[in-house]
Amino acid sequence: MRSIKRWAVLCVCGIGLATNSAAAQERTAIKQGFELPTNSGKKILIIRPKVSVGEQSTGGLFEPNADWTDNARKNIDTALVKKQGSLGNTVVISPEAYGDQALIAEEYTNLFGAVAGAVVNYQFFVGNRLPTKKRDNKAGVFDWSLGEGVRNIPGAQGADYALFIYNKDAYGSTGRKLLQIAAALGPGLAVKSGEHLGYAGLVDLKTGELLWLNADAAMGGDVREADGAEKRVGQLLEEFPGSVEAIEKAKQP
Amino acid sequence: MNKLFAALIATAFVSLPVSAAPKTKVVAAPTPAPYSGVYQPQGVDEIGLWREDDERERALSNSPLVIRDEALNAYVKSVLCKTVGSDRCDKVRLYILRVPLFNASMSPNGTMRVFSGLLLRTRSEAELGAVLGHEFGHFENRHTLQQFKSARSGTDLLSWAAVLASMSGTQQSYQNFDSIRLSVYGGLARFGRNQEREADLLGLGYLNNSQLRPHAASRVWRNLILEVEASSAARGLSKPNFNGVSFFASHPPDGERVNYLYALAAPDSEGREEGADLHQEALKPWVTAFLDDQVSLNDFGASEFLINSLAENGWTADLWRARGDLFRARGNPRDLMNAADFYAKSVALNPELAEANRGLGLSLIKTGRMAEGRAALERYLQLQPTASDASMIAMTIASMGGK
Repeated sequence: MRSIKRWAVLCVCGIGLATNSAAAQERTAIKQGFELPTNSGKKILIIRPKVSVGEQSTGGLFEPNADWTDNARKNIDTALVKKQGSLGNTVVISPEAYGDQALIAEEYTNLFGAVAGAVVNYQFFVGNRLPTKKRDNKAGVFDWSLGEGVRNIPGAQGADYALFIYNKDAYGSTGRKLLQIAAALGPGLAVKSGEHLGYAGLVDLKTGELLWLNADAAMGGDVREADGAEKRVGQLLEEFPGSVEAIEKAKQP
Repeated sequence: MNKLFAALIATAFVSLPVSAAPKTKVVAAPTPAPYSGVYQPQGVDEIGLWREDDERERALSNSPLVIRDEALNAYVKSVLCKTVGSDRCDKVRLYILRVPLFNASMSPNGTMRVFSGLLLRTRSEAELGAVLGHEFGHFENRHTLQQFKSARSGTDLLSWAAVLASMSGTQQSYQNFDSIRLSVYGGLARFGRNQEREADLLGLGYLNNSQLRPHAASRVWRNLILEVEASSAARGLSKPNFNGVSFFASHPPDGERVNYLYALAAPDSEGREEGADLHQEALKPWVTAFLDDQVSLNDFGASEFLINSLAENGWTADLWRARGDLFRARGNPRDLMNAADFYAKSVALNPELAEANRGLGLSLIKTGRMAEGRAALERYLQLQPTASDASMIAMTIASMGGK
């Protein structure tokens, strides 16, 4: 009874327990039959990544940090160009859009977020999967689409695929770490310090089909530093179609 | 050891900050301090909040909900400037969102969001200015930052209390933890309510200092109370309590606001203009659309109240048409009799109003007056041959012709 109450007390406080998140951390899927050979020279349009970096307060609130966010954005952009260049694909940064074009770009960024969220919730991770999507998982089917309207995304005419990236980092604050230690030493409970979420997806700009998606709830690499960001982008683009070397490399310690 | 923890928790409970109780004696809101000029965020928290807000504004500026009509935007901006003064309003980015709810907000970096539902509910420049001034008060006093900081210290305290309570493990420590939790959550809600009172005070300060009649502020809330009452009455619910403060309430109760906002208005400003005509003129191109949005909310009492209060200056074809739509949407046979009546009044005022003819025709057919209904629908097709539902209406007419 007492231990139940302990759990209840901690849950009320929003203290995430590490045991819950360990089960579902990373998952990748690729559309059946899709191949992107290395050095195929395809053009990939990078939609402005959504990046936010900050600290996690003792109570678990996200404390945004402008400096870290700006650094991370710059580092991730650089790392992306480097990474894709080494795979033999050309990276096109999405152009600054105006008027209706800007509306379309924003709409598709949000649509991708909604679709990726649906994949993560209903196909990828245990807990809330739909029966149809479980069947798809068994049959190796990955069938999602943003619709043919993606052709109208600004910059889509000159590219073959679009790469969407979402990245959120909350580094545990000193207070959070102290709480973690106290909770571990005292009542023997695991308090999670820090949160590193991200997903990346590749969309066919002719058909709107989602070709590849990688979701990761616990990523490594410190995006505030250039080499950390490279490691992060490596993890975001893990098992990216045509990146055999990347997979091998990531598997090595 | 356990006793020590229990004592620690008890101390934490006692030392919780208790914010000042609301003032009892109210005098006219003072003139705000001179504007300190362009403000830049300071410290890691504020810079971080602004940076996130910049990102949200970037998305907002490309939202399909934003009404981009330059005339309407210029009008709302002019009301803000008349209220808070041109030095203050200069750098505000204003976004009018097509959302049929009574709300407006202003976020840390100076983004102001105004819902179309607010424009439909205010009757004059002064009433609109009262709400905009209140929101600007939140911005000028940097309330989001304070709220963020208080939420952070509250949850920090709770986390430590949770760990300590678990460590101690006594019944007493869990009871103490429960008290702390209530106290922190209640304290956070009260902190928010006091910020609203502060923003109300500032908002009235701006209005007292402007050329607009500050007494309008109180009326905004009185009208809201009447609307909420109408909405509850139509649903057969008991009259809501407008004076009690509930535990998690984010704002002071409406009844309290009506009273203190009236008292805060400068007594010598009674004779000032409210700018009702200008407001009506500026909203004219949009009233139909905003009314349609309101009717589609499926809140019969509130919509009926709003239409009737808009009609205080005289019924127009469009108001009758909206009222017809409202009744036809509910769609009981008794409603359709009323709807047909309202549409008929609309058509009598403006025979060229296609939508009214359509509604009239459909309501008449449903109430058994086929020939008249058919005539009205034919008139609709004459007026709007390219309407999106033209072929469906034509089919309805044809099916009746067969009988």
